[in-house]
Amino acid sequence: MKKLHLRMLTTVLAGVLMLGCAKKPLTLHVFIWSDYIKPEIVQSFEQKFGCKIVLDYYDSNESMYAKLKAGGGGYDLVFPSSYMVNIMQRQDMLQPLDHAKIPNIQHLDPAANRFTMDSNHVFSVPYMLGSSGIGYLTSKVPDFKPTWRMFGDPAYKGRMTLMNDYREAIGAALKALGYSLNTLDTNELVQARDLLIQWKANIAKFESEQYKNGLISAEFLLVHGYSGDIMQIMEENADIAYVVPEEGTSVALDEIVLLKQAPQPELAHAFINFLHEPEIAAQNIEFVYYLCPNLAAYELVSDEVRNDPAVFLPQNIMDKSEVVWDLGENNALYSHIWDEVKGAE
Amino acid sequence: MRRSRFPLIVCILGMLFFYLPILVLIVNSFNASRFSTVWGGFSLKWYALLFQQDDVWHALRNTMLIAVSATTVSMVLGTLAAFALHRFHSRLQDAHYTLVYTPLVMPDILMGIGLLLFFAALRIPLGLGTIFIAHVTFCVSYVAMVVLARLQDFDFSIVEAAQDLGAGPWTILWRILLPLLAPGILAGGLLAFSLSVDDFVITFFVSGPGSTTLPIKIYSMIKYGKPPLINALSTLILCVTFLLIWVSQRLREKRA
Repeated sequence: MKKLHLRMLTTVLAGVLMLGCAKKPLTLHVFIWSDYIKPEIVQSFEQKFGCKIVLDYYDSNESMYAKLKAGGGGYDLVFPSSYMVNIMQRQDMLQPLDHAKIPNIQHLDPAANRFTMDSNHVFSVPYMLGSSGIGYLTSKVPDFKPTWRMFGDPAYKGRMTLMNDYREAIGAALKALGYSLNTLDTNELVQARDLLIQWKANIAKFESEQYKNGLISAEFLLVHGYSGDIMQIMEENADIAYVVPEEGTSVALDEIVLLKQAPQPELAHAFINFLHEPEIAAQNIEFVYYLCPNLAAYELVSDEVRNDPAVFLPQNIMDKSEVVWDLGENNALYSHIWDEVKGAE
Repeated sequence: MRRSRFPLIVCILGMLFFYLPILVLIVNSFNASRFSTVWGGFSLKWYALLFQQDDVWHALRNTMLIAVSATTVSMVLGTLAAFALHRFHSRLQDAHYTLVYTPLVMPDILMGIGLLLFFAALRIPLGLGTIFIAHVTFCVSYVAMVVLARLQDFDFSIVEAAQDLGAGPWTILWRILLPLLAPGILAGGLLAFSLSVDDFVITFFVSGPGSTTLPIKIYSMIKYGKPPLINALSTLILCVTFLLIWVSQRLREKRA
């Protein structure tokens, strides 16, 4: 009798457990920037795999890192920039990806490999690529030339801005001189400093945020900014154009990584693979207006986007562009030069 | 004698200073352009877009859930703490005072990281529960300080009179202490509520999967999102607030 009871109890218990599982679909937790993925893509993945995706948001690579490092967990996938991927990997926060579960990795554009330190995609898969460049008013700058040297043109004195970011601003000067924007060569850096001081006398100010409003209202005629920002203001004012200087520029690559303590690694792999389905990646490019480096997707985007240099950098410029790497102790070389530029009369 | 115009001017300037930003926000919620410096024409597109954004509403729901529960709990705890601090004086109470006072002056980032390390060490899963605990932690201090200030002006002879007339401790609490302290408790509660609604730093660290609140959502919109949506949302929240105030005043008038 007692045995029977026990058996009944276990059966009921097992039944309850199974019911519980069936009722509660698997949930994938994604930590990402807001509006960085087309919502319909998330929905169609949920339908296809019968799961739920919960998106949570951060506002910078650094705050995301601080939170995860201090023990904030429970997420599966994160979308850090490539320099941060490198830091997270060194800190042993990531787990290696199983390429057999991500067959779409074959579509990746090898051109993007230069922008990550993990070019074999052991820990990360590229997600979106953006650049910095020049936004300007086509009617007010008739003799525009696609070069960083525009910032030295006296015709637009006091009507231009450079980014108030030491690596971006010094990087622009280094690129104008034909050097790497991660250079450690003091001679090259000194030349860049002198050029930047010349530019400083000619521009209105160093500005990282208000240049968008300034360009729309024609307070500034020509600004140094991020492709995504300038794309947003182009929707407002058809006179604005975005150009990447032919000397090359800085690009930023955001990547997808799987955290070491991810609760749902299987589902996470499936989601990475899904994001690189050519059809899905093409939809995503048109929504976020950054470049998802997926060769098969390039053929599927509309001609308008395909011919937009803000999304698709011309190959020759891409070859000359670089990621701003974290130089560790050598960052001081740049901040020192930046102090000299800021202090120059 | 002619009255000076100075107070009037100061008053107008003060009003402008307080309310102009809110007015700009409301006007911009109808601005077709996403940049506040340009007027792109009248449009309801942000409102239309807002109603398609489930995640904004989800974040708002989380924010309100936490704000209401954290405020309620901290009103109770804060009032109790204020009573204890006012009533008893000992070295232990000095320590208690310091503990209650510290969150007011401690930088948010320290508190956020500290709480996160604490939760991580105890292996408490992060989520709405941990945000709730964190918010109660700093809200209690604000309520306690406001109620304590009110207790310092409190005329305890009323309580003694009630005792003389035979009132028990419960009667004194419900009929005398709470009604007289209510404005202080409510003021502390409102302060706690608004602090809880707009806290970003602490919430960011102690939030877990699926517990994004409105401030976190708004900050993360800066890079790729459409922040003007928030103008529309704020305008709606303002409308609801004014409606509530209007209704409560009508009810009070009727009762009187």
